[in-house]
Amino acid sequence: MTKEKEKTEPTPTYLLGSDEQQKWMQKYFFAPRGIAFAEPGIVALDNPKMSALNITKSSYQIRPEVFNLNWLSEATKVKKEELKKRLLRLYDEHLIILVLNGSVQVEGFGLYYWIVKLREGTSPKIKKEFGDWYQNKDEICSSWETEGDFDFFNGNHMRVLDNLIWNVIMPLGQRPEVEYVHLCPIRRDIREDWLNMPDAPGGMYRQYSWGEEEEKNLLKCQDKLDATDIKIIKAINQKRPMKDYFDFKVLAEISGLDPKDMEEGIKDLIESKRIVVPLIYMNWQKMGLTHKMYLIKLSQIIPSWRKAEIADELAAIPEFNLVLEFTDSFYDIAVRACNQTTNVEKLLEKIQSYTEVETVKQSNMVKQYRRWVDRLDDHNGFWEESIFTDDFLQDYTVRKEEK
Amino acid sequence: MKINKARKYVVDNLKYALNPSSIAVVGASRYPNKVGYKVIDGLKKWGYKGTIYPVNPRADNVYGLKAYKTVKDIPGEVDLVFIAVPAHLVKMVLEHSVEKKVKIVVIATSAFKEIGRGELQNKLTQYCRDHELPLIGPNLVGMGSPYLNFNCGFIPYLPVKGPVAMISQSGANLLAALGTSQMSHLGMSFFVGLGNKADVDFSEFIAYGGQDPNTKCLALYFEGLDSPDALISACQSVVPKKPVVVIKVGGSKIGVKAAFAHTASENEGLNDAYFDEIFAKAGAIRATTWQEFLDISLALGMQPPLKSDRVVMITNGGGSGLLSCDHFERSGMPMHELKEISVGLSGKIQAYMPMFGSPLNPVDIAGTASPVHYKGAFMQAFCDPNVDGVYGSICPTAVTDVEAVVDYAIEIYDKYKHLGKPFVMECQGGQECHDAIMKLRDHGIPAYPTPEQAVNAIVALRKYAKIKANFSK
Repeated sequence: MTKEKEKTEPTPTYLLGSDEQQKWMQKYFFAPRGIAFAEPGIVALDNPKMSALNITKSSYQIRPEVFNLNWLSEATKVKKEELKKRLLRLYDEHLIILVLNGSVQVEGFGLYYWIVKLREGTSPKIKKEFGDWYQNKDEICSSWETEGDFDFFNGNHMRVLDNLIWNVIMPLGQRPEVEYVHLCPIRRDIREDWLNMPDAPGGMYRQYSWGEEEEKNLLKCQDKLDATDIKIIKAINQKRPMKDYFDFKVLAEISGLDPKDMEEGIKDLIESKRIVVPLIYMNWQKMGLTHKMYLIKLSQIIPSWRKAEIADELAAIPEFNLVLEFTDSFYDIAVRACNQTTNVEKLLEKIQSYTEVETVKQSNMVKQYRRWVDRLDDHNGFWEESIFTDDFLQDYTVRKEEK
Repeated sequence: MKINKARKYVVDNLKYALNPSSIAVVGASRYPNKVGYKVIDGLKKWGYKGTIYPVNPRADNVYGLKAYKTVKDIPGEVDLVFIAVPAHLVKMVLEHSVEKKVKIVVIATSAFKEIGRGELQNKLTQYCRDHELPLIGPNLVGMGSPYLNFNCGFIPYLPVKGPVAMISQSGANLLAALGTSQMSHLGMSFFVGLGNKADVDFSEFIAYGGQDPNTKCLALYFEGLDSPDALISACQSVVPKKPVVVIKVGGSKIGVKAAFAHTASENEGLNDAYFDEIFAKAGAIRATTWQEFLDISLALGMQPPLKSDRVVMITNGGGSGLLSCDHFERSGMPMHELKEISVGLSGKIQAYMPMFGSPLNPVDIAGTASPVHYKGAFMQAFCDPNVDGVYGSICPTAVTDVEAVVDYAIEIYDKYKHLGKPFVMECQGGQECHDAIMKLRDHGIPAYPTPEQAVNAIVALRKYAKIKANFSK
């Protein structure tokens, strides 16, 4: 082929979820970085294709039959009326929230986490002050207070890293009580709250997996959920086709929209394009649970393919209810397991059995402020207030008084 | 959706849209920057005294008020349901509203016909009609009235009190009018955004405005017209008592498309002459530009109709006089010389001007005119039985005491307004002129910063006199 001819070849086109998409996505589904909604195949969160999920998110609090109760009843052997009653109770007692995990990286954001370490001897009052700030800072979409090697673990989506640094990291990071802030940009979002996310390897995407003993242990260590409640939550989060997830007739009854259109739209977005993942989040704080988080630093000579393999191998352990792979960070992988329902020491041993592991930082997650843009602070009256922020066309580095 | 005439149950219930004793705000938010919060904030801030019920299934309290999961869960009666939730929840809210027997619903939500969901919009509209539940919107900004301290929607301020009812399909232009009201003292009786006007139609607000004691003029901003017959009949009933001013946009090639994308207004294949004919039949006065729309609405709201074209202009500036008389002629209402209007008037007015003034018409009392000169000239014009309208103009020379002239203008107007002669002022200049205009408007005298605006106002007053005569027969 001559150079002239090469120049006239059309640029290959692709859509997410199509046969033409990048080969490497077939293994890891690394999210391509889109520029806002210009990425081929991307739709905005209020697109009609998202209707089924948006209707459900807005009405499951009063109409739990938006979930496919026929399927759930069959899967759990609980009658539909009982299912409805329980789902309403679980919501009213603030034990569950339906979370929509968006693939923000596909939509043009970077997904960043960071840990904050306060200096030895920092008073609880100061730590609370930090906590209150994180709780109320809308640009932080996921946020935890921890105890141990570090004091906070937060996360957010930003299109411009400088905006994160200037608007979120620096305001508190420069305070004298802070020993360090370490950024952990996400390379792969593999699992959150037991549910596998778009970057999970192979066919694990959307699988909801618990460790063998976890359910039994959960029943022993708390009194908010009984065995039936747990069965229902596990069933809702179980991977299955969209027709079994939602009741499209109910969604049509609520909205007046076409059930077929809604089903096709959401199927495309969740099953094929992996743009969004629905999840029933269990409010573990309310249940008196805590989590042990392990922040793993691999030796710097470990190549990235091996790092990805180790992340995959850890993701194969169902007791880890959170698995994140980082890039350009002091840390490479974060995993988390529930203190009350798993053997966290044994899990640590497993991590440390990898010769590639250099250090592991450990902290207990004792409080969660937000779960993917949903506020969790019912004590402040903000239960499930959803705040999705976007720094599109924003420059937070310019201080107002200097303009 | 089309109607053939204004429906009684709708007109009767419109009072609940502007003066409800209880409101359910569906989609009430706990976050100050969200629309659902602003609605309650606006109601509270502007002094709404009725009961507010926030509806939000996630919240226990909103704005310090107990929140309810659905409209059905509200214990008391609900007059108005204001809907600010995404489009996909509106059907459910309407069903709850019917069950609750609310009086009227307002849908602020967008994403209906204007984005291709015409079928859904029509289905919801038909549902409301089947249950005689008037629906305003969807896709609107809100409504309110300064007389009732009522501001319902996401509207930053109330207009000043006054005679004009502003009914607009466009939220942005409604807000612009409210802003003008604040800045330029264009007083309003009530205002409402109609958005896609799926159910409640212009004609029904015209009928309501016809009955509203604070409304003296109805000003309507159209992007589309689904029910021309209903409009014609509603206007014909109202115009013998109150003037109707309209502006119709979306007539240009690209405007046709833009009007559909904005408020789902269908103008394909309809030319301007079609709308001219409808508005003429209706007895409505059509404005071409936004400024003209506001200017003539103000004049028609404040002043009586002009019985004839015998208008006398008193000015201290020959230039503004010339701009005026040329524009009168362009507008099809040429001025008459003073001697043609009234034989002795010229001599009487000359007593109030220097020898280098001009008693023609415009009457130029010259740049040196004192407040007393103005007073005398105005008085002579008002008192002459052959004069049907007085037009005053102030050009601020170094010796012009603008404030004193304005005070005399107000004094004379108050003294002679029982004669039913329209009085319009023009004040062309800087800050003192702006202040003068505001003061005149606050005293019921339409005043403008340019001669053309003032002339447009006077011409509209004459047009209305003809319409009134015609439709009163």
